[in-house]
Parts: sequence; structure tokens; C-alpha cells
Amino acid sequence: MSNSEDNKSSHDQLSSQVFLDLVDSVIADVASECHRIARLGLDKDLEVVEEELRLSVEARAKVADPSNNLETNTKYVVDIFGQSHPPVATEVFNCMNCGRQIVAGRFAPHLERCMGKGRKARAKATRSTTASQNRNSRRNTSDNQLSSAPPGFEENVKRA
Amino acid sequence: MVLVESGEKENLMELVRDRLVESGWKDEMRIACREHVKKKGRKDVTVDELIRVITPKGRASVPDAVKEELLNRIQKFIQSAAL
Repeated sequence: MSNSEDNKSSHDQLSSQVFLDLVDSVIADVASECHRIARLGLDKDLEVVEEELRLSVEARAKVADPSNNLETNTKYVVDIFGQSHPPVATEVFNCMNCGRQIVAGRFAPHLERCMGKGRKARAKATRSTTASQNRNSRRNTSDNQLSSAPPGFEENVKRA
Repeated sequence: MVLVESGEKENLMELVRDRLVESGWKDEMRIACREHVKKKGRKDVTVDELIRVITPKGRASVPDAVKEELLNRIQKFIQSAAL
């Protein structure tokens, strides 16, 4: 009967419309999420790309600048290829311990905190657990040799 | 509309989302967004722009199985609501 056929085709149309509506909603969600991540700078990869672009633009400007006396420039040594080397290494890479992106020139201080080697970093770690837990862990763990030595030992080593 | 009032739309939304995530469609869309953001620079990009950019691809790349499942379910609902 033609009536039910009409019904069916309008149903189909309606279903398609509803379906597209649903898909559009999900698309809007995804776009909104990505927009937020992009604007807040939460995407690590994007930051690396931007940082590299910025550094390369800076380096190029420095080389192209004629007023920059390349030969007697004491701060930035320029090699025969015309590349300038800033005194603090500006390359960015991933710390193998925590996975964060670190500027090479600041890697040593970062590692101190990251691995708990520095005086302040270690004190912070021990303060947050109870004293008895600490004593137990010192007896049991064999890999972290620093923590198994008595506190006075480290001070002596530092003074030496 | 009856679809919204009965709560069926919520169910359908959840179903669509689940299926699209499972099939990797959402990941593809996010990659497409990132590509556009990289081109435009992340400070200039707007939500509307992103929607505009990924909608054609998004609509076209919904897996057939997902589309079928959804359409069937919607049609069933419409028919039962029309009775």
C-alpha cells in the first residue's frame, strides 16, 4: 500500500536525520576537546614543534643579522658553518626517568630533584612517610644504596 | 520530541560514542584536529573552525557496521513510537 511506503520513506529520512544529528554531536565534542587541549598547551608534541620552530627562527635571525659582530662575539661562538652555539644548551629532550621535556642546559638540576639525589629532595621524600616505614625500607631494599647508609655518612662524603 | 523525552536519545548518544571510540574513529578525528592545529598555530584556532574542518571527514568515515546498527535501532524506536 502506498501509505505504508510513504511512511517507510519518511521514517528512513527521519532515521538518517537523527543519525546525522548524533554523529554531529560527537564531532562537536571531539572538536571541543581538541580545541581545549590545543589552547591550554596540554599537547606535548605541539609544544615541541613550536619550541623548535622558535629556536630555529631565533638562530637564523642571529646569523643573518649583519650588525652582529660574529668574530669578536664573546658570548655566542659561531663556527665555520655560521651556526651559533648559546652557552646554555637549549635543546629539548625527554627525561628518561620521568618522561618530561627538559631543556638540556637545565638537565642536571632537574635530575637531582627527579631522582631524589639532592639533599632537599631526599629530605622531602623521607618526611612524607613515617619513621618506622623508612627504617624498614632501608633494611629491605638493596638497590638504593644511599638510603641504606646512615645519614651522617653522606654529609662526610660531601665535605670530602 | 519523543526521542528525547523517552530518554532514548541519551541511550543512542552513548551507543554512538562507544562504537565510534571502539572503532578508532575518534582517534582519527583527533589526529585530523591536531594536524589542523599544527598548520594554523594553536593560538589562532577556534572550535567552529575545527568542527568545520573535520565534519565532512567525520560523517564520511563512520564505519558501515556502526551506521547500520544505529539506523536499525533508530528505526525500531520510531516504529514502536508511531504505534
